Amino acid sequence: MNLSFLRLSVWIYLAIFFAYLLGPLVIMAVTAFNSPSFPSATPWECLTFEWFSALFQDTRILNGIKNSIIIGAGTVVLSVLMGLAGALMLTQIWPKLRATYYTVIIAPILIPGVVLGISTLVFWDRINRMVGLGPDSVLSSGLFLTILGQSTFIASYCMLVLVARLQRYDTALTEAALDLGATHAQAFRKVLLPFMRPAIASAAVLAFLASFENYNTTTFTFGEYPTLTIELAQKVRYGISPAISALAFIIVILTVFAALTNEAAIRRRELVAAARREATVAELSGGGVKLPGFLSGNAAAGLLVALAIATIVVVGTATVYSPDQCITDIREQKRIEADLRAEELRRKRDEERKLKAAEEPAPAAPTGTGTSSGSFGGVFDPNALQNAPAAPEAEANPPAGNNSGFGGVFDPNALKGTDN
Amino acid sequence: MPRFLKDFLTRNGTGPGLVMLGLVLFWTVGLIILPQLSMLDFSFRPNLPPPEIGGPKDVYTLENYKYLVYGPEGGGQAYNAVDLMVFFRTLVAAVCVTVFNLILCYPIAYYLGQTKGNHIRVLALMLIIPYWINEILRAFALRIIFGETGVLNTILTGIGLFDTPFDFIRNDYALYAGLGYAYILLMIFPIYNVIESLDHNQIEAARDLGAPWWRIHWRVVIPYAKPGISSGCTMVFMLSAGALAAPQILGGPSSLWFTQLIYQQFNDSSDWPQGAAYAVVLLVTCILLVLAIMRLFKVNMGDIGK
Repeated sequence: MNLSFLRLSVWIYLAIFFAYLLGPLVIMAVTAFNSPSFPSATPWECLTFEWFSALFQDTRILNGIKNSIIIGAGTVVLSVLMGLAGALMLTQIWPKLRATYYTVIIAPILIPGVVLGISTLVFWDRINRMVGLGPDSVLSSGLFLTILGQSTFIASYCMLVLVARLQRYDTALTEAALDLGATHAQAFRKVLLPFMRPAIASAAVLAFLASFENYNTTTFTFGEYPTLTIELAQKVRYGISPAISALAFIIVILTVFAALTNEAAIRRRELVAAARREATVAELSGGGVKLPGFLSGNAAAGLLVALAIATIVVVGTATVYSPDQCITDIREQKRIEADLRAEELRRKRDEERKLKAAEEPAPAAPTGTGTSSGSFGGVFDPNALQNAPAAPEAEANPPAGNNSGFGGVFDPNALKGTDN
Repeated sequence: MPRFLKDFLTRNGTGPGLVMLGLVLFWTVGLIILPQLSMLDFSFRPNLPPPEIGGPKDVYTLENYKYLVYGPEGGGQAYNAVDLMVFFRTLVAAVCVTVFNLILCYPIAYYLGQTKGNHIRVLALMLIIPYWINEILRAFALRIIFGETGVLNTILTGIGLFDTPFDFIRNDYALYAGLGYAYILLMIFPIYNVIESLDHNQIEAARDLGAPWWRIHWRVVIPYAKPGISSGCTMVFMLSAGALAAPQILGGPSSLWFTQLIYQQFNDSSDWPQGAAYAVVLLVTCILLVLAIMRLFKVNMGDIGK
């Protein structure tokens, strides 16, 4: 009983944790399809695709995507190169320097992105001035600064990924190549590089993603090249719109696609390997191995196909579907509701006024209120407000002869009077 | 030519060796060390218009650091209470976020690391997917939830817990939730990596010897996972103390994060030396704090990033 209780609590904890992790994304995705212009999931009004078309008509977003891709490409090249060089250097650096060197190249991960952005900006500004170039030279261009600033720490990530693979490399392979007469460049290109290829690929993907989503460093260096993240931040800070949810939804879907494709490919490779292992020698030599189909026993591939079909269906619906009818209905409904509410308010006010009028005989009513016949029952009548508080104050204050709200406590005479 | 350089070049070949050395030097010296020193130097200079830079007025001064502690000269206050408050609040909040993340993530990392099965791959994938989308969009998603007419308020007022919508943004709950949310992965992965290599037999042995579950964690798992825990905590602390996007989007209008002050000095009042001084203070304080805690828990710098 104790064990099953433990298991249950583990599952509940996992559920809560993943709800915290994924819930916000799901809700954001829902708001991309809801019609109110403030992104909200509740109340649900109309299914609409207009936020997607609004997104694709936003030139600033499109321009940001373009800049992000250019900067991402530059960052990938620079940081993978520096990361690889840094990783190779780590394996053969003078032992006494090793700890210091490792601290230096790992530090950019820990330095706040803001600090990296500032230091890049300040340093290259100074170099620019030393060289004597104007304010619009290459050295102060946003493109150049952003690539350098981002590469500073993204190269450290790449280095970590590459070092993990490099540790399994047998340096005897390079030595063998050199003994057989290869030049150093050839040995590097034909022996080490093919071995490192998977790690280089994952480092490049990691570098691009890190560059694409970076905000803290870029916000100081971007200059005239605002990236997508910068544009999004400015939009989100000065008024949010469901078009941003639409963009997020697209990114999430692309991510899921990429992840599922990767999963499906891995699973397929495993299945193929298993099939080959079980095949007889005759089958193998005859080329008659029955390889499993793409979809059999591969849940990720199945999901991938389902997601692709769903996407096509949704896009197809979006082109023919028009939410206009629903939106006008909702608008009409809202108008009726507002009318009803106003009507009710008016009735209540009327009743209150009648009640008041019945309680107080007509001559005692404050002057002026009676003339007001608006639906607000005279609350906006300036006289109504003035008359009411004036009466009690006049009663409380007469001895001090002071009309301030502090009831005369700051009156120097008042203090003297009590002292004596 | 020094001997080790000669050795290096013969080992790697002159061409590849020089390219490698050039790249490493550019990275370590040109991108890491010199810019930081340059920022440090810049923070000791007065804020001058470009033509006067390098002129007679360009002398070293402690002005920018004094400003953080004492406020503007003749400001009438003994201390720069606003900025100092922001500074300490940022540090305390970052520590709280780190502790919260550790408590939240340790069970998950332990579960992922010690359980075998296909569903672990799926869970790991679900963990990574939120981190492939933008930091800004993650903050935006939380803003939709915590907004005044957001989902959470609609639910809470709907079930009658509150009469009027509660302002999560003004009270900074949204900010803390957002910061915790932003760095979950950076806490889980280092701990997961270490716990995965822990031999399950050790836990079985402890259980067979009669240890209750909490003692197994306290005496076996946590000591073993210490490098991962400290690595995760260091990253989460540094990143949340240096966060800019989440406070800008989720922070209340009246409360600032220290990085926002730096941002304002660079962008709004264009007082770069002042901003550089604040950045130096942030960097140095964070590093000292992390080193102190690592000393306290006896962890090495080399364990970070594993």
